[in-house]
Amino acid sequence: MTDTHVTYERAPASVIDGSAVQVRDLRMSFGTKEVLRGVDFDVRYGEVFCLLGPNGAGKTTTLEILEGFRPPTGGVVRVLGLNPAAQPGRLRERAGMVLQECGFPRQARVAELIDVWRTYYPNPRPLGDLLEVVELTEVRNTQVRKLSGGQRRRLDFALALAGDPDLIFLDEPTTGFDPEARRRCWAAIENLRGLGKTILLTTHYLDEAERLADRIAILRDGRIELCGTTHEVAIRAGLATRISFTTPSALRRGQVPPPDGIDLAVRGSESVCHTGNAAMTLRLLLAWAIEHSLGDLDGLAVTAPRLEDTYLQLTRDPP
Amino acid sequence: MTRTLRLAARQAILEQRSFWRSAEYALFTFAFPLMILLLIGAANAGSHLPGTHIKNTTVFVPGILAFSVIVAAYVNLGSKVAVLRHDGVLKRIRTTPLPSGAYLGGLLASTVVTAILITVATGLIGGLAFGAVPRTDESLALAGSLVLGTVCFASLGLAISSVITSAESAGPVAYASFLPIAIISGVFDPTFSGLPDWLSRLVAAFPVKALADVLQNAYAVRPFPAWDLVNLALWTAGGAAVAVWRFRWHS
Repeated sequence: MTDTHVTYERAPASVIDGSAVQVRDLRMSFGTKEVLRGVDFDVRYGEVFCLLGPNGAGKTTTLEILEGFRPPTGGVVRVLGLNPAAQPGRLRERAGMVLQECGFPRQARVAELIDVWRTYYPNPRPLGDLLEVVELTEVRNTQVRKLSGGQRRRLDFALALAGDPDLIFLDEPTTGFDPEARRRCWAAIENLRGLGKTILLTTHYLDEAERLADRIAILRDGRIELCGTTHEVAIRAGLATRISFTTPSALRRGQVPPPDGIDLAVRGSESVCHTGNAAMTLRLLLAWAIEHSLGDLDGLAVTAPRLEDTYLQLTRDPP
Repeated sequence: MTRTLRLAARQAILEQRSFWRSAEYALFTFAFPLMILLLIGAANAGSHLPGTHIKNTTVFVPGILAFSVIVAAYVNLGSKVAVLRHDGVLKRIRTTPLPSGAYLGGLLASTVVTAILITVATGLIGGLAFGAVPRTDESLALAGSLVLGTVCFASLGLAISSVITSAESAGPVAYASFLPIAIISGVFDPTFSGLPDWLSRLVAAFPVKALADVLQNAYAVRPFPAWDLVNLALWTAGGAAVAVWRFRWHS
């Protein structure tokens, strides 16, 4: 956690057991084009949930439905217990929304704009607190048009947080930013998490999902391909743990037979195998090494499946 | 209801502050009509309408009053809303629980404030520089006409905003869509005449000359402008209908 000044708040006790967002068999078509083909997922209270997918996967459409901007073609959606399309006003009192692209009044100043935004809500957060959470205190009297892209995005966050919402939607919060701006946006998002806010964000950046999200759903071609924690997603994608070690000279010279029951590939100086059961494979490997007096297997490395591999594999394959 | 009004007032204050903060915008809005008032007014000072005892400036000043109302209500509001839509500010407002009525009410209230300020400035300078003052028994009619003109051109401004496709073209489109009509309506030249018959009939159908006529009637005795009032009412209704029908929160 990067902040120490913001106090941790819990979700209201009455809702702590339920889900902040429930999506069941969500379908959306524009004309004959089917954009969402039965999407299911839940977002729990207090978690950062990331909808990850390539451009055109249907992330923004999903978010627009959850935000009450579009009624879905089919399926059921509940956000904070509300039906977004039918109760957009009540939803917007309790959910903050950061759209992908959204302008500011050209001449407004930072603090002035946030202060006006606070009047829109029944229980706004204090102005100083909002400026602090998004780290804009030092530019509070600057005109919005003079802010950098990253600062504007953090002002987006402040406006979305003005009504002290239970849930915040972030649509591709750092797309097109340089590394420093992204880092500060991430810090601001972590501050939001520190306030106990439930966050649903979309991104097509893996590192962003991996860094911020408690749970991830990979959306591709209008369907959820996989959903779970980063690790679960990688494992469920069927990706194997990679085990490698320096090829012992005895093995290379053929003086030692390869281990039984292991699909070992000898690639010159390195030997590699992929396995769905790392513990079993390691046991077999080490027993084989002892049997043939190969010692501790120099350079032994066990690499857990990574989200990036999962994602690349999923998005590379044709649907 | 009181909450909506309070929110609208708050919005109007933000709009006014932003308006005055953008110096070139405010200056242009005010300087353009006032400059024309002083320059062309000076050229007309001392002369009379042909065959009458009515001074040119007595007709010219209310003409510029009409021009001022149009700049404040039509050009300013129309281009403002187009820019807000193009910049995605309207879209952002939709993410908040602010009632649409409170937001648009705030924009309109700010427009009314601008219109009042600019007409007061035009009227005062017209009176001080050229001695053009409204007829004393017509002050209520003058106020009513200014209100009607503001409402009419604000509705037309909202209507035109929905056909403007970019922030850059907002100002030019708003000006270009009425300046030629204002010129052939004789707003800048009290002695303007000699239009072909069909063209003067066309000009009479537009609301610019109608508003000028109504305001001129409050300064100098002219035939009662019943048709002009009907004209303005029809354009108000038409503008409001298009504004509502074509209104979009996003570009």
